[in-house]
Amino acid sequence: MLNSFLNWFEHVLGKGSALDAQSWSEALLGSLNFWSLLEGTHLIALMLFAGTIMVVDLRLLGVTFRKIRVSFISDAVLPLTVFSFVLVVLTGLALLFSRPILYYHTIWFRFKMGFLALALINIMVFHGRVQATQGSWDADETPPTPARLSAAASLFLWTLVIICGRFTPYDVYQCGKKQPDFVNWIQECKTSEKGEQNMAGQRFDAQMWRAP
Amino acid sequence: MTDLALEHFFPQAKAWVDGLGDIPPGSWVKGPKFGYASWEVGHIISLVMIGGTTILMNLRLLGAGITKVEPAVIYRNLRVWQNIGVIGIVVTGLLIGAANAVKLYDSSAFTVKMMALLAGVILTYGVSRPVAAANGAVGVMPRVWLVIGGAIFLAGLGILCTTALIDVGVYHLLTALALILIAVMRGRLRWLYIAGLGALIVAQFVHTHIVIKPDDYAHLDPVNKVYTALYGAWLVGAALVTLFRGRGEEGGPLTKLVAYAAILVWVLGATAGRWIAYQ
Repeated sequence: MLNSFLNWFEHVLGKGSALDAQSWSEALLGSLNFWSLLEGTHLIALMLFAGTIMVVDLRLLGVTFRKIRVSFISDAVLPLTVFSFVLVVLTGLALLFSRPILYYHTIWFRFKMGFLALALINIMVFHGRVQATQGSWDADETPPTPARLSAAASLFLWTLVIICGRFTPYDVYQCGKKQPDFVNWIQECKTSEKGEQNMAGQRFDAQMWRAP
Repeated sequence: MTDLALEHFFPQAKAWVDGLGDIPPGSWVKGPKFGYASWEVGHIISLVMIGGTTILMNLRLLGAGITKVEPAVIYRNLRVWQNIGVIGIVVTGLLIGAANAVKLYDSSAFTVKMMALLAGVILTYGVSRPVAAANGAVGVMPRVWLVIGGAIFLAGLGILCTTALIDVGVYHLLTALALILIAVMRGRLRWLYIAGLGALIVAQFVHTHIVIKPDDYAHLDPVNKVYTALYGAWLVGAALVTLFRGRGEEGGPLTKLVAYAAILVWVLGATAGRWIAYQ
């Protein structure tokens, strides 16, 4: 079901009737400059997003700006963080749209989405619970343990998101190549275009699922 | 069209460059399965640290961002992290470069990146940090370094804009400047600026998708170059307006010029680094 959707998304959506017509996804990937601009913008927006969130997290850890109220830093910095996060997500979605099947079956992309989800949960917990008492510790040089734990988790999780994001384009683990069973399992290679192959060289070809 | 790859300046170094990837530290980086990618992660994280610290320190000089705290206090609190970022970018860059030397030797984008790195270090350590430490006052030495660093920055930008296959990367700088201006501008001026920018974007889209067919590269290329120049003129014009307007910030037009340059120079470095892969 999902594979059919991804196949339609990558190979059919927006495709005209001409023989050499491309789907929107294929056109984006094959564009002369636009894909490169998107990827570059994704990276530069990440500079702003992760760079600003790092500063807020360091304040919450009591490592920097210790004499300055937490709210002075977070109120000024978080609008920049949110704005850049929107930019990172939009460019990220566009990049995903250019090769949805490949990314879907890539182990690093799956880990990245997992860590991203955890990072977002951490943000919700911080704003929902930890920040509720901020008035009582806003001026503290070292905020209370829950705030510091949340900041440490944030730094850790966003670093993991960056690591997995950078590893995604590398084809060390790729469906169809000889690789451990657990990697094939995590990547759901059996349902991928290239099927799966275990370390013993046994192949399990996927159904031919590209539209004719 | 410019082609200023290092191979044109140092042709006698070719044999040495060809062998760099096979000896340490290049071979150490390339050896392990995720060696190269891991150092790239270090490079990106260093860039993130430079980005966050530079943007916040210089936005403050522009009267935006953490405005409730003096620039000197922001500088004192962020300088260590900025140092780690700069050291990290140089160390990881050297390692990645050693493993990938042949490609860099033949790349104009790499030349731009090295110029941006040099200009970035000069504009950060010689200009922006002393200016922030002095709460916006621009002393004599920062002025001297601003001229030197600014000249290298503009030369690098010139190469980027005139080299085929990487010239499109200038849109990253335009985007960065556009976003900085949104943060810096206030009130009606901000909306006027956004409206003008929006009109340009719509005009370019209509021109390059409806008036001219999207696959007609021969006609698209000059039209896109004209729009790039128009974006540049609009954004630089808006930035010039902010130099002489605005409230609440320390320092005068020169302080703000320092701040714009100190942010954009690192964006140029990141842009050139990314476009090495596309050249």
